[in-house]
Amino acid sequence: MNNVIAKSKDVTLLEILDRVLDKGVVIAGDMVISVADVDLIYLGLKVLLSSVETMERLRGSAFPS
Amino acid sequence: MAENGQLVYLCCVADSEPTIKQVEDSEHNLYSICHNGLYAVVSEVEQQEFGEEGLKKNMADFEWVKTKASMHEKIIEQVMANADVIPFKFGTLFNTDESLKAMLEQYGQEFKAILRKLAHKQEWGLKIYCNPEKLKANLGNSDSEILKIEDEIKSSSVGKSYFLKKKKDELIEKTLTEKINECGQESFELLKELSFEARINKLLPQEVTEREDDMVLNSAFLVDKGEVGDFQSMVDTLKMHYEGKGFFIDCTGPWPPYNFCGLSREKVQNE
Repeated sequence: MNNVIAKSKDVTLLEILDRVLDKGVVIAGDMVISVADVDLIYLGLKVLLSSVETMERLRGSAFPS
Repeated sequence: MAENGQLVYLCCVADSEPTIKQVEDSEHNLYSICHNGLYAVVSEVEQQEFGEEGLKKNMADFEWVKTKASMHEKIIEQVMANADVIPFKFGTLFNTDESLKAMLEQYGQEFKAILRKLAHKQEWGLKIYCNPEKLKANLGNSDSEILKIEDEIKSSSVGKSYFLKKKKDELIEKTLTEKINECGQESFELLKELSFEARINKLLPQEVTEREDDMVLNSAFLVDKGEVGDFQSMVDTLKMHYEGKGFFIDCTGPWPPYNFCGLSREKVQNE
């Protein structure tokens, strides 16, 4: 099953974090972690998210610009 | 079904019923919620861990973020092996299955439109890095203007050669920038030709990439599955052309279409 999605090479953590934390659909769930660009604090690869503005109740549209 | 003290964590929405195996070393119960032909893949998480208080603490813990983000990715990859998916951003949470269903009801048409667009396509990522010293070393003996100034310097007085050296340095900087732009632009344009959509993301600094060289292009492409072979051949061609001249081309995929599943949020580069 694991080889169904054959990655072209070993994917680094950076690639995963760059996508999972920063991209993808943002929608008004009951709670949404606010990880806006500016909230990303990078400490070496120890990307940290941090500026703990975390939970935020999003209102309005599904795809805020 | 999430019980008291638990939250519903949304990973992705799929267009067909996913065959969900519990992801290895996931301690959370993974299941899907169907509504109007859409399947939300969710996991049951502890309020304590993902609730407001817990999350604030956990988001500052690199190991925790690393584990959970990797899990998020792994779950989506598993689903997308057999379905088209819309990946959600890390940490989209609902109190109950019902409130998630209400969200699916509200955005169902938009999700379906996105899924139609994404059908039979894959996201690929391309990052290009440049080692300026290596690129500079390569320039020296190929750029005729630079060679000309070097000759002039040799036959000039001390005073004049000082200014000529300054001019040479400026010329080198300018040429470096041109070469970098050329590599980035050419690579992006050629791959865009083979893609359904393409976008350029912000460059990540060295502290993040932990590489010695500089990121000069961070881009993503939505490629039709039938075109992936051509896309990869083009990447190989670009590597052959640019690697060894101070550039490093890093192509990864297929990814869940993180970069191509929004509407107004995205600045789509494709015309």
